[in-house]
Amino acid sequence: MSPSLATTLSGKIVASAMRRRINRLGKESTISSAISTLIKHKIGGLIVMDESQNPVGVVSKTNIAGAYYASLPLDSPLEYIMTSPPVFCHLDDPLEEALGRMKDNQIYRLYVKDPDNDAVVGALAYPDIVGLLYELCSRCPKSIFRPANGPKAEQGERSLIGGCMTREIKSVAADYLLEQVLEELALHHIGAILVVDNTGRGVGVISKTDLILAYNHDVPLNTPASEVMSVPIRSCREDDMLEEAIRSMIFSDVHRLFVKDSKTEDIIGVFSLTDAARNRSGSCQACIISRIQITP
Amino acid sequence: MVTGFHTVSPHTPISEAVKLFRQASSEEGRRIFGMMVLDDQGNLVGMLSMFDILLFMRPKHVHLWGRMDDIEIADIIDLSCKKAESIRVGDIMSQEVVTIGPDTHKFVILDIMIEQHIRRLPVVEDGMILGIVYISDLFYDVLDRFTDDSTPA
Repeated sequence: MSPSLATTLSGKIVASAMRRRINRLGKESTISSAISTLIKHKIGGLIVMDESQNPVGVVSKTNIAGAYYASLPLDSPLEYIMTSPPVFCHLDDPLEEALGRMKDNQIYRLYVKDPDNDAVVGALAYPDIVGLLYELCSRCPKSIFRPANGPKAEQGERSLIGGCMTREIKSVAADYLLEQVLEELALHHIGAILVVDNTGRGVGVISKTDLILAYNHDVPLNTPASEVMSVPIRSCREDDMLEEAIRSMIFSDVHRLFVKDSKTEDIIGVFSLTDAARNRSGSCQACIISRIQITP
Repeated sequence: MVTGFHTVSPHTPISEAVKLFRQASSEEGRRIFGMMVLDDQGNLVGMLSMFDILLFMRPKHVHLWGRMDDIEIADIIDLSCKKAESIRVGDIMSQEVVTIGPDTHKFVILDIMIEQHIRRLPVVEDGMILGIVYISDLFYDVLDRFTDDSTPA
């Protein structure tokens, strides 16, 4: 890799960010049991095994949202809705390469194989990569979370949300039906959408998690968005530092923050874990510029 | 087997289920760590244990925290409880339930409990729930000779 591409994640391998707990269900297991597993373990997808315990597919919140849209019964088997085959990476693959593979396949999670015996030994998802970024940056001598540095130290060098966020915001009206919300999410390949009132003001958020819970609660598809949305809208400001926003997402386990204009308080963008992972740095460019070696 | 037991509905909110655990423990005079989940028709559709609820309450990135000293624990608990408001028993219960029959041998029960890490097994016959076997009952059933004074050591 050329030096110009060096980032906080350079030199890090998949094994340093992956989770060793793998949630598996059989292909005959029901959609409802997959929902329970995802909700309880706060994960976005699980791996589906055949009778001989071979991994044959993946079921994500996206697959389940699709099943809801198609009004499949909750006791349908996972083999009806899974994406197969699973996409794998290896324990010792560079994280940069794994991120590239996720982006190319438009997926948010890879399963990790041990190259020695081909066994599935872990799962790697965007939140885990961002968790590693946060950890690396908070241990860095330049971290704003170190008492010696103080919250506003060296602000000039630090990455701000405004530079990393996505400026295009998708939204639905509060009286949109869940059916239409599901269509919007699928169309734009997004995990959540802002719900706005008739003046265009944000009043809540509907995520795929809210939708799969609605599915599990037998909520009809012609229910208005306002009945299922989460409030309040979790937000940050355009001039917040990247590490503050990442910290907030990591500790409250949300996948995105809506970004407010510092003066008008209008929502002007969204900053997601995916944006954070693709930015490849948790806070600033210090480790690239000064070549500080951060050892795990 | 115990024939007096408490059950919970998949539609019950988690906050309510926590109260039911406390209530069941006080009524049965023993600590209840898990309950059978019955649907509106009385079918056994899952098991809810304290473990399932605690799994949900565990913050996702807690493994990072052992090395961090900037966490407000009270805030984190508040956040998890807020998230639990929309969660019902059916969203986190274990759905793949292992059951036994009234004639299952106690060593078969012991084997299932050990191999599958299960601490309580519903006893079902022809779709009817007859009771539940707790690991502690099995423990004393098998080992009571050591606590019984009349048996020579």
